[in-house]
Amino acid sequence: MRKLRVAVYKFSSCDGCQLQFLNLEDELLELSNFIEFALFYEARRFVGSGPYDVAFVEGSISTPHEVEVIKKVREESKIVVAIGACATSGGIQALRNWANEKEYKLYVYPRPEWIETLKYAEPPSKYIRVDYEIRGCPVSKEQLLSFVLQLLKGKIPTLPVDSVCVECKRRGNVCVLVARGIPCLGPITMGGCGALCPSYGRGCYGCYGPMIDPKPEVLNACFKELGLKPKEIQLLFKQFTNWSKEFRRVIEEYE
Amino acid sequence: MSLTGLYVARADSLGILFSELRRLGYVIVGYRVVDGVLRLEELDSFDEFAHNVEDIQSPGKYSLVSGGFYRHGPDSPKRFLYPPTLTLFRVSKEWVASTPTYEERNLAFFGLKPCDLASIKVLDRVLLGVDEYYTSLRRNLVLVVENCTSPGGTCFCSTMNTGPRARDTFDLAYTRLGDKLVLEAGSELGLRLLDVLEVEPIDDATYERFEVVMRNASEKARAGFELNGLPEELELRIESKVYKEVTERCLGCANCNMVCPTCFCFDVLDTPLIDGSAERVRVWDGCLNFTYGQVAGGHFRPDLWARYRHFVLHKFAYWIKQFGTYGCVGCGRCITWCPTGIDLRETVKKVLRGGKDG
Repeated sequence: MRKLRVAVYKFSSCDGCQLQFLNLEDELLELSNFIEFALFYEARRFVGSGPYDVAFVEGSISTPHEVEVIKKVREESKIVVAIGACATSGGIQALRNWANEKEYKLYVYPRPEWIETLKYAEPPSKYIRVDYEIRGCPVSKEQLLSFVLQLLKGKIPTLPVDSVCVECKRRGNVCVLVARGIPCLGPITMGGCGALCPSYGRGCYGCYGPMIDPKPEVLNACFKELGLKPKEIQLLFKQFTNWSKEFRRVIEEYE
Repeated sequence: MSLTGLYVARADSLGILFSELRRLGYVIVGYRVVDGVLRLEELDSFDEFAHNVEDIQSPGKYSLVSGGFYRHGPDSPKRFLYPPTLTLFRVSKEWVASTPTYEERNLAFFGLKPCDLASIKVLDRVLLGVDEYYTSLRRNLVLVVENCTSPGGTCFCSTMNTGPRARDTFDLAYTRLGDKLVLEAGSELGLRLLDVLEVEPIDDATYERFEVVMRNASEKARAGFELNGLPEELELRIESKVYKEVTERCLGCANCNMVCPTCFCFDVLDTPLIDGSAERVRVWDGCLNFTYGQVAGGHFRPDLWARYRHFVLHKFAYWIKQFGTYGCVGCGRCITWCPTGIDLRETVKKVLRGGKDG
């Protein structure tokens, strides 16, 4: 069987998602029998040229240069998979979209004129067609592996898209919202993490971003009943996936 | 069905019953307090069995306080009889299929309330003889039920005719009345369990008290609608605007499906594994989930209100046609564990009130 030629790219991001490939310590050797990391700067010095069967793309697009590169990635790859909160919604650095980026540059860099940025940090899907998304901050290595294995079997890869609540209940967690009054974004957040945070008694931070057809305004009414102030509610949404369409709406409403 | 009529024993006889079931080799599942919530778990000793604790339930809220009488927590027998995740079969690298053999287990539910007993009766109609895992556990299942002397804030078993007193299908039913335990055997095993206790036929005074307590409990667990003609009335009002109104507070999170003791819908996941094999896994699903109504070529319930309406009508109308019983047992879990506290009782009442076009 011909190996799947894979490229792993990063844009504006922390490397945490691509690192999840390397965190597959028990499976990586076996996996390398089926896939070839033709381009994976974080893992190997060797760089194989395109075209690639699959490109995994981490990070958001925040500079003009990145726009050029992501377009090239699209041209060179049969399948483009956006991995992680940055590549699917803009990520943490999209928080700068809510501020004045020119002003920031003045504070941070001694020669701000050297720094070229776009007005917004946004997911690659803003500029190119993305075939699949794997959510999370970071992505779960189990999901990453499951995705790759499904591709290898010739199956159309599917990942869970229903609420975190479903995974919480399957796992046998007690609802932190109903039983403890802890604000939790689980009821509007896409599952796939296995309800990681509520499993440790914490509310969901929404790092997988909104599920299909979420109802944040309904959940916010619950939060208000718990005594949360509008600014506190806004901060719950102003996190990992703040630039996703549905969360953005909430943040704007409370701005 | 009672085999014996009612007997009375000392309240501390419960521990003896527990030990006897253990001695007979049963794995006992009962309520235990874990992190401030009643959980259904395997119990090794009677000390672990929850006591002197009460669950305070209201729409969207759950808490425990000390003392009093408890009903239940988020878990129902479904978690054991129809587990949230179950491997159906595996296919090896060489394409050989194998089904896992389910370990024979003699399970005994201890202290279940009548609503949860009723949920097993409902699941029997759906799964018995159909689902292998369920059937294997159900065959040897022992049911020791506690009659509900004090229904909680979201309970409506009297309306659904499932409680507060268990009428059949149990092995042994008990009722705590102060320092006395009123017992009723419903099977040969139940009779055998009675034999290990010091029991007397119930005296008139205790019987009267028992009747009063049950009657009062029954009054507390009413939803405010009647079952008489309910399926027809609801179907007649299928266009009711109430569903859309109520759904304005619905998150579509499917918590109601997950905690419902009779919701049996599932999804099937084909999962390739790293060693070249693959497995087919069944997981709990629910009609409130967006993907539930999604099929090749389209979606038959893309609107949340239509999904919620399906949940309500399935429980109270379609279930009757499908399985000859209501799908709802009145346990109130979907009300308590709904993050926004949507009250099924209120929805049904509003739909009925609204008239044909309301």
